[in-house]
Amino acid sequence: MAAVEAKPKSVRRAKYWDENVEEAYRFQLAGYRDEIEYSKFHPQEVIDRWPHNNYIKKLKRRNDGLFYYYNKERECLDKEIHKIKLYTH
Amino acid sequence: AGALEPRPYKPTDFRKFYDRGDFPIALEHDTKGNKIAWKVEIEKLDYHHYLPLFFDGLCETAHPYEFFARQGVHDMLEHGGKKILPVIPQLIIPIKNALNTRNVKVICTTLKILQHLVISSELVGEALVPYYRQILPILNIYKMKNLNSGDGIDYSQQKRENIGDLIQETLEAFERHGGEDAFINIKYMIPTYESCILN
Repeated sequence: MAAVEAKPKSVRRAKYWDENVEEAYRFQLAGYRDEIEYSKFHPQEVIDRWPHNNYIKKLKRRNDGLFYYYNKERECLDKEIHKIKLYTH
Repeated sequence: AGALEPRPYKPTDFRKFYDRGDFPIALEHDTKGNKIAWKVEIEKLDYHHYLPLFFDGLCETAHPYEFFARQGVHDMLEHGGKKILPVIPQLIIPIKNALNTRNVKVICTTLKILQHLVISSELVGEALVPYYRQILPILNIYKMKNLNSGDGIDYSQQKRENIGDLIQETLEAFERHGGEDAFINIKYMIPTYESCILN
């Protein structure tokens, strides 16, 4: 099954902020593990990103397909970092 | 004479529209990460209709109206680009109303929004210059309201709610982004303001 294939090999919690954590934060706020899971749900879609730093600009929420918009700059606050899970495939 | 006293405000159109569910946003009780879920892509929204309405909601102090108005304005400014400039004339009255509530929290929110507005897109700062007469008088009243607490701790500084500091920041943002006429026009309305560029 596709769902089983897409399962990540391992997961760890983020300890400090970097661009990967920011990326994961944006996906996880919208209800997805990461980009791989997002593209499974929305195969046709190209993810909208801010041109100057490549941060995600817009995602569809997993449950209802509503849109979440993200800021130009860092959004993931220090207090949120420990909640972010980083998956390896 | 009560110049700094909060004044009552009428229920806003924003509240009416929100209660009726007219906004293209999901009404949620738990706003995760302080975000609005938009039902329609912001780029496709009619800015002439929605942006003044969201600005109208800046007068609100009650949850959830206050949150949705503030965050809605923020999202629309962040993602509006060129669609913001033509709407500026329609934003002046809501901005003036919000400042006129003389409610410190509302003024602080509005000042942060004004700072965001001038950097939201090119020429927006310059487009605001003719409207300084409407916006700046209230800032003039509050500009010097900067508590001298001796060696005590003024917590509003940490929370970015110190109105005197916010006004100074806002005026500097106006001057930086308002083009060459900005300074003289600010100075005319707020004589104690000193340029942050010329000196």
